[in-house]
Amino acid sequence: MIPATASLVDVLVGATTDVFETMIFRQLQARETTWGHAARPKSQMVGSVGFAGSSTGLVAFHLSTAAAREITTAMLGIEIDEEGLADAVGEVTNMIAGAFRTRMAAFQDAWAISVPTVTVGSDFYIKPISTGDRVIVGFTMDAHELFVELIITPDAEAAV
Amino acid sequence: MRFLIVDDSSTMRRIIINTLTKLGYESFLEAGNGREGLDRLGAGQIDLVITDWNMPEMNGIDFVRNLRSTPHGKSVPVLMVTTNAANADVAEALKAGVNNYVVKPFTADTLKEKINAVASQA
Repeated sequence: MIPATASLVDVLVGATTDVFETMIFRQLQARETTWGHAARPKSQMVGSVGFAGSSTGLVAFHLSTAAAREITTAMLGIEIDEEGLADAVGEVTNMIAGAFRTRMAAFQDAWAISVPTVTVGSDFYIKPISTGDRVIVGFTMDAHELFVELIITPDAEAAV
Repeated sequence: MRFLIVDDSSTMRRIIINTLTKLGYESFLEAGNGREGLDRLGAGQIDLVITDWNMPEMNGIDFVRNLRSTPHGKSVPVLMVTTNAANADVAEALKAGVNNYVVKPFTADTLKEKINAVASQA
């Protein structure tokens, strides 16, 4: 059974901080949580991974290009080009979504997840076409703001 | 020891190579999906394969199944590094021929422990 919504956020925060501490060697501070469809996190890169199964939806990771560069350098030990930056954001998103999926598997059947996609730009937002829940959790990493978004529909209805 | 690292993410291949280098290993081949991984088998002796699960063209499970049907790949140790960590996933991977499993995110110590475990089985 899917956990209550507040617990869902705890699971998402735990998955995200675990990825950052283990693979990026950075501490994250969780900040505000925003429910509903009005939130528009400011970012220049968005990684997203879809999932499907007993629930369907999307995990998206929003960040600035400067934050992506800092994360990539911390993770790989080198600076990389624009294409490599997108790949790195995709991989971080994949790990966050995967860690979230693993934790959620304790409550229900394991979901299938998609390969990540990365969108580069600033004046857009993700609009779900279902009645699923949407939550955005803000984090700070040093001077950078990061956001992890979850859209989830706890049945077979398409979420995005 | 020579590694074949199969992952569609150049970032994850770089992370794995960086980690292996810190652990003292020096020889690596890379492939971006399972099909490329099978092609790389002809490039010489491979002592250990590290593969992702979710990849385009040919995923890690199909790659390992195909690998096990080749003369070169029948007995090579295979470590799967993936976010797919549910019990059903692990069972499916082991059934396909994977020897051991590392769940992302992972530490260098975990990777070392798993490499030692599969290498000792070879």
